[in-house]
Amino acid sequence: GISQDVKILKLAHGLDAKHPVHLSMVHFAERLEDYSDGEMRVKIYPSGQLGSERELIELIQIGSVDLTKVSASSLEPFIPKMRIFSTPYLFRSSDHLWAVLNGSIGEELMKAGEPYRIRGLGYYDAGSRSFYTTKRAVSSPKDLQGMKIRVMNSPSAVAMVKAMGGAPTPISWGELYTSLQQGVVDGAENNLPSFYLSKHYEVAKYLILDEHTSIPDVVITGTKTWDLLNDQQRKWVNKAMDDSVAFERKLWEKVSQESLAEVKTAGVTVFEADKSQFLESVRPIHEQIKSSDLGELYNKIREVH
Amino acid sequence: MDISVVILIASFIALLLLNVPIGVSIALSGFFALLFSLDFISTTTTMAQRMSAGVDSFALLAIPFFILSGFLMGQGGIAHRLIEFAKILVMRLPGGLAFVNILSCTLFGAISGSAVAATSAIGGFVIPEMEKDRYSREFSTAVTVTASTTGMLIPPSNILIVYSLASGGVSIAALFLAGYLPGILVALCLMIASGIYAKIKGFGVPTQKQSGQVMKKTLDALPSLFLVFLVIGGIVSGYFTPTEAGAIAVLYSFVLSTFIYKEVKFEELTQVLNKSVCTTAIVMLLIAASSAMSWVLSYENIPQSISDYFLSFSNNPIIVLLMINILLLMVGTFLDMTPAVLIFTPIFLPIVEALGISPIHFGIIMILNLSIGLCTPPVGSVLFVGCSIGKTSLARVIPPLLPLYVAMFVALLIIICVPSLSTWLPSILID
Amino acid sequence: MTLTKVCNRIDYVLEVFTSFLMIGLVLDVTWQVVTRFFTSNPSSFTEELARFFLIWIAFLGAAHAYRKGAHLGLDYFVNKFSDNVKNRIVSLVLIFVTVFSTCILFVGGSCLAYLAWDLEQTSASLGLSISLVYLVIPMSGLLFVLFTAEFYKNYSNNI
Ligand code: NA
Ligand code: NA
Repeated sequence: GISQDVKILKLAHGLDAKHPVHLSMVHFAERLEDYSDGEMRVKIYPSGQLGSERELIELIQIGSVDLTKVSASSLEPFIPKMRIFSTPYLFRSSDHLWAVLNGSIGEELMKAGEPYRIRGLGYYDAGSRSFYTTKRAVSSPKDLQGMKIRVMNSPSAVAMVKAMGGAPTPISWGELYTSLQQGVVDGAENNLPSFYLSKHYEVAKYLILDEHTSIPDVVITGTKTWDLLNDQQRKWVNKAMDDSVAFERKLWEKVSQESLAEVKTAGVTVFEADKSQFLESVRPIHEQIKSSDLGELYNKIREVH
Repeated sequence: MDISVVILIASFIALLLLNVPIGVSIALSGFFALLFSLDFISTTTTMAQRMSAGVDSFALLAIPFFILSGFLMGQGGIAHRLIEFAKILVMRLPGGLAFVNILSCTLFGAISGSAVAATSAIGGFVIPEMEKDRYSREFSTAVTVTASTTGMLIPPSNILIVYSLASGGVSIAALFLAGYLPGILVALCLMIASGIYAKIKGFGVPTQKQSGQVMKKTLDALPSLFLVFLVIGGIVSGYFTPTEAGAIAVLYSFVLSTFIYKEVKFEELTQVLNKSVCTTAIVMLLIAASSAMSWVLSYENIPQSISDYFLSFSNNPIIVLLMINILLLMVGTFLDMTPAVLIFTPIFLPIVEALGISPIHFGIIMILNLSIGLCTPPVGSVLFVGCSIGKTSLARVIPPLLPLYVAMFVALLIIICVPSLSTWLPSILID
Repeated sequence: MTLTKVCNRIDYVLEVFTSFLMIGLVLDVTWQVVTRFFTSNPSSFTEELARFFLIWIAFLGAAHAYRKGAHLGLDYFVNKFSDNVKNRIVSLVLIFVTVFSTCILFVGGSCLAYLAWDLEQTSASLGLSISLVYLVIPMSGLLFVLFTAEFYKNYSNNI
């Protein structure tokens, strides 16, 4: 039996138990139990058992789930500022991305959730997203012309593929494998581990590493849960999360490399992209963002070195 | 066992016995159990969110669409012409129309990937036609319900994709190939059982000589046959997804029955729409409620504790496998398929892999077990749709279902004992 | 006006409205196919809109089907009792349906809609307020309660 004093946090997320995110969550749970000397424990619900990312954010607001990991793009409908991450080629490099996330801007975005009962705890690496196609290879935006590309259900993703010349097509994630196979869409985009783990490489044989967006994952808790923790418990949670973030970034790098090697072995042709052409095609989006209410944030991010 | 488990199971059984609508029973028992873990407001809000999330899915649209097109086809003369044509092919067989039903459901379930869509699309017009040919309505419903689930195994199949993701690594292409032979085997077993049952009960009109009419009936059925061609061809060649095919089927059967055959009047259209709304809503309430209940089950960690309890009995591989099958059958009796696969695959797969069973083979076993669960009370979405479409009650449809359950069990046993039925095709076609 | 007349009116509106939602659903998804097939600019809002229509059809239709007595139950055991016992069981069933519709649908649905409104959650594609989608849940709860009251009134008059 667990004694009454033990605080159990319920952590739910949408990925399966072999995914680097899950393993990093397990690491978080172990560290937290360590730091708190068993006073705090984490119960993890993987594989979307408790709902999709959008639904989990709501459950966090309601207070029936304590922690979750969601993509920053899933936070857009809740925290408008998070839209900034969907800007293609916003970051010059991975170093630039992490300089932003670990700096004052990252902090500011974490805090932006407070009015919406959401509290950010840490950023996980979610790599960069690239295109993969079924029928023919793509090496420049010109090749995307007329191609039906599955995108996430968000205006920014639609605008990006449109700007590049493709036909953005929203298809639900669950229907995507067969849609690629039957030819309802000609391609899709995602990060390397998802391309590998979703098995889409079985039907999409061309991958181009254009790395158009780098949308981080965010580990969040609800202010409802947070308010119930005492200072000591909050310190433990933060400390364990810092360990987990460091763990995740290393693991992600490793799994990305492995995924790339695996899909190559499975017969996928991988191209390096001439990113300057892709970047050129999305210039209008950057101009638009600059003149929108996100302009200030955009400029601040671009100034980080 | 935990208090919330006891509350959940006891209140569920009590509410069912009192004849509380099943959707309400499911939601309420989940609600009572969750009250032990959360405060009142969080519980009610979470339950409402889970119910709405349960029906918030694009793929579920296949259900209203194929219900609507099924009714339109029945009302508008499309169904009758298709059946007259099909009868030419199966005239000489006992239970011929039952075979037509099974073949149609298998084909439709295979292509659309949804057992509920198959039941509503095919059942909506075949059941009344079978009744005209002196088959009992209950038997026709039972045949439709069971045959519709074979499409879960025959690709493309969304549930096999869910399994692949939950197993964290089994190839979807291999699973798709693995499903063909077992799916066909289940359909064959159902045909044999229903042929025997129809013969004993004397269902079906004695065959007449119709040779002169063959040509006329075929020509007559051509526009209706084009609907089949449109739906299946459109999906296979990538013009639309199975879900979208539903909307296309509605439009085509609307135009055909209203403007070409002119067998549906405006007044009847409003009735057809209303019937479709009702049938859809009945099914959706059940799906909403059972997805809320399965959320509570996961939240309270009930699946894990029940399977731990069962599997603690023995280390003997055969007994463990037997236990897992019994558990899966029980799970299918209470849970809908997708949550069941998501929750139980990570629990069972490591155990069976240690026993030397391939994950591909186990995937097929698991899906078949859960398919049987789709047609068994108390919770079985396909069974419920069948009852609404066939205008019959649970109590009356059970007797003719029994021989068909037996057929499915026999198929399950064969598939468990002969792994190569599942693994042979993938092994020769994927290097 | 008697309760039954009020319910008839409301139920008629419900019937017409859900029928239009159903037609809307078909047209919406057809539009999705047509734009993808004929243009290089496939519509991106249709998927989301269709899901919202389905949620509305599900919850409003459930109340409509409830008034028609079309929801499935296990009547097998109840039928074995005498009429006297049966009447008591029917009252119990009505109580449970009321608990379901007030607690889960009305209270839970209202809280959910309020939360989405208060915390300004918008839909990913159309930018609609999610509270509009969730509003159908408490509405359905009210309808369930109303139809239960009507049923109880007519039922107790007939005993
Ligand atoms: Na299928
Ligand atoms: Na069942």
